[in-house]
Amino acid sequence: MAAFAFYLFAGLLLTSGLMVITAKNPVHSVLWLILAFFNAAGLFILLGAEFLAMLLVIVYVGAVAVLFLFVVMMLDIDFKALQRGALQNLPLGLAVSGVILAEVLLVASGWTAGQGVIVHEALAGPPPGMTNTQWIGSQLYTRYFFVFSMSGLILLAAMIGAIVLTHRRRVGIKKQSIAAQNARTPGGTVAVGKAAIGQGVEL
Amino acid sequence: MSAIASEYLPVLLFFAVGIAFALIFVSAPIAVSALTGTAKPEAVKLSEYESGFPAFSDARAKFDVQFYLVAILFIVFDLEAAFLFPWAVSLHWGGESAWWAMMEFLGELAIGLVYAWKVGALEWE
Repeated sequence: MAAFAFYLFAGLLLTSGLMVITAKNPVHSVLWLILAFFNAAGLFILLGAEFLAMLLVIVYVGAVAVLFLFVVMMLDIDFKALQRGALQNLPLGLAVSGVILAEVLLVASGWTAGQGVIVHEALAGPPPGMTNTQWIGSQLYTRYFFVFSMSGLILLAAMIGAIVLTHRRRVGIKKQSIAAQNARTPGGTVAVGKAAIGQGVEL
Repeated sequence: MSAIASEYLPVLLFFAVGIAFALIFVSAPIAVSALTGTAKPEAVKLSEYESGFPAFSDARAKFDVQFYLVAILFIVFDLEAAFLFPWAVSLHWGGESAWWAMMEFLGELAIGLVYAWKVGALEWE
């Protein structure tokens, strides 16, 4: 059963990954990407890493892929025109991806875990009485505090960067000012006066 | 199969049943109408009717970058919430240092929130 589930998820993952790069319509590409994320989550569950699976669904499917979809659907780009010249750039593209593949292989073959990185303990699974999520938490916020703190700073930089790049104050827009609205008192806005007959009132 | 994975087996089965029923409900009417010869599409039958109207422009148009800013802010705070889950269940082992680690993390993002609030990025203009 586990083998069946593994081959099901892995097969679907590879198929949808292939469809991401071959689909003609970029919107379809993003939908295939979402399917790929779901299958990767299934693989995580097979490994017993349920927190990572939920994280993949919540963060990648719920936020990142929807953002992709949103941008791809709304971008004013003629994708047909972009694809027309793709064949001319094929040699360059192949050369660049070849270099990247070589680098990845080089790193993957020469990589050994640094000191303090849990490798063998991780394979054994969480200690008794602890769930996978609790195990992650017990390590992440103490042993890997520096990395965790850095991730917070990166999120801060992303937030401030997005605001600096995209936010601009628009002038000439009438907006509701709730504070000014609440600060209004009858004394400042309403005047009661006696109007003499035939005289009118002075404002 | 790990113990956790077998706990999720019913979910997988429900997925399979759901996909099977979806395929049946979609393909059965198509197959029936094709086999009984009632499917005779023609230009007028396939045209828009009732509330539909012919498309008058492309769906892709330049849109306000504010939507993108809202999406990015959503992702950032989504991740913040995601980090809170393992923290909340593991304080028994992490102890005081884990508590303060999260407070520091929340503080970093609180700076971002205050900044976003101050420059008015959270307001729709």
